[in-house]
Amino acid sequence: MAQTMYSKVDEYGFERPTNFDYKLHAEFMEKYMRTLVRRAQRWSTLKGKNKYVKNNKLRRFVRKGVPLDLRSIVWMQVSEAQVLKDASPANYYNIRKTQINNPALIEMIKIDVPRTFPDNINFISQEYLSKQMFNVLATFAHQNSEVGYCQGLNYITGLLLLVTKNEEVSFWLLKVLVENILPKYSVTNMSGLLVDLDVLDELVARFDVDIHRHIRKIGMPWAMVTTKWFICLFCEVLPTETVLRIWDCIFYEGSKIIFRVGLTLIKLHKTEILRTKELSELITCFKDMRNHKEVIDCHQFMINIFKIPGSITDNELQRLRIKYSKTQNQR
Amino acid sequence: MSSKDDEYDYLFKVVLIGDSGVGKSNLLSRFTRNEFNLESKSTIGVEFATRSMKVDGKTIKAQIWDTAGQERYRAITAAYYRGAVGALLVYDIAKHLTYENVERWLRELRDHADQNIVIMLVGNKSDLRHLRAVTTEEAKTFAERNGLSFIETSALDSTNVDMAFQNILSEIYRIVSQKQIRDPPEGDTIRPQNYVSSVVSNTVLVIIEQLFNHRFCIYSSDFCTIHQWLFVLFINL
Repeated sequence: MAQTMYSKVDEYGFERPTNFDYKLHAEFMEKYMRTLVRRAQRWSTLKGKNKYVKNNKLRRFVRKGVPLDLRSIVWMQVSEAQVLKDASPANYYNIRKTQINNPALIEMIKIDVPRTFPDNINFISQEYLSKQMFNVLATFAHQNSEVGYCQGLNYITGLLLLVTKNEEVSFWLLKVLVENILPKYSVTNMSGLLVDLDVLDELVARFDVDIHRHIRKIGMPWAMVTTKWFICLFCEVLPTETVLRIWDCIFYEGSKIIFRVGLTLIKLHKTEILRTKELSELITCFKDMRNHKEVIDCHQFMINIFKIPGSITDNELQRLRIKYSKTQNQR
Repeated sequence: MSSKDDEYDYLFKVVLIGDSGVGKSNLLSRFTRNEFNLESKSTIGVEFATRSMKVDGKTIKAQIWDTAGQERYRAITAAYYRGAVGALLVYDIAKHLTYENVERWLRELRDHADQNIVIMLVGNKSDLRHLRAVTTEEAKTFAERNGLSFIETSALDSTNVDMAFQNILSEIYRIVSQKQIRDPPEGDTIRPQNYVSSVVSNTVLVIIEQLFNHRFCIYSSDFCTIHQWLFVLFINL
């Protein structure tokens, strides 16, 4: 990682944004490298057949970051994608072979594959990555007719492939995310997304009334700036390292992490948000969040997401989702 | 943001709509930054950019909004149309299906946008001559029948991109400025937030005026203020 510290691309092959603060990043990396080494040591102490079985210790470990080379296996275990895979009557390659036959779906996916990470050096230099992305998306689309293909899944799949370097693992992780971990964000009427946008609105109102009032006053619908939070799980929104640290926790703890991250982002940018005077300024403020010092320092950021928003329990989230799915149905 | 950027006479919000992959984002980047990416990223959520243009000596700041094209995203894009005074409805001249879907996009505008929004049909990718699947005539006839203006563009080789925006902005400006001549606002310029209502009320006035000219053609708008028109209309009804 050290040699890429000043590179124009990040550790995962993504071009850095034009206004990227290299000095700030270098300062952070110097500190973060030590964290990574320490975490790798700690993870190496986990031993035995059940070393990735969920318990409080493993959750603490995951919150502090899964080492890159362990992400595939740890994500598969803690998300129960492995269970899904083991229970499936057909293996991935059989599903892939028999399923890809709907021309309209194939066309949609073919349009998006080259438009996913055109600026990522891995996708540029390794053609098989695009082929794998197509395979995963097409196989997923054909075995889940309720979702089919939803724009945004291409970004998730692309990043899964970069991290796991394995088509089959990427498929099962995508499947467990869309079908088990996340509510119905990607289905054809995006019902789960509409509900969670309302849930977010209520959580922001409870959490910081000034910010909520300001955003209401300007008249910004949450969908404008937070669709990518829910649909792409912060991919293309935050720096890659921060995104992967968030994904570690989403695979372990589920979709409430999205709200923790969202509320933390909003709180960290309170001054900037309240300073905006009109819609385009407010949207720009949200887009610039990726350059915030406290967002780039992903280790501190991950500590903050479990501190700043206070308690968000599964039960409470469930209650809010039921409440807003009722109001959605009435609309 | 520099203050220079913020100096303008009018701010118009224009939305780009149309199927996924027709080139909306590249039209936006070609117009606002003179950039084109053969493989630009698929748009999720909303993007926007601005560029100022001169129309009739006035500075028009165009705020162009770009959205996801996939049909399911219409569940959340209704809010993008709020305040829009213009729409570029884009299809790909090399993909007939994207042209067939224009009707669906028109319905979408009818349902969510201001009823007086100025719509321009844009056949993009005109550089793909050898792959053309929609003839210019066919699209032109459709546009005329539906009261839309029409242009073919290529974001790749820049053909007609500035022209498309120039045309729609001029058309919007014409409507807004006509309204100003008839019914001058307090002060010299219209505040940005008033544009939508200007366009709406203006169009209503134009309709009344046309109806009126039709029935009582001795009157000419050059000599009467709108108040007089309304008064005459009222007593004649």
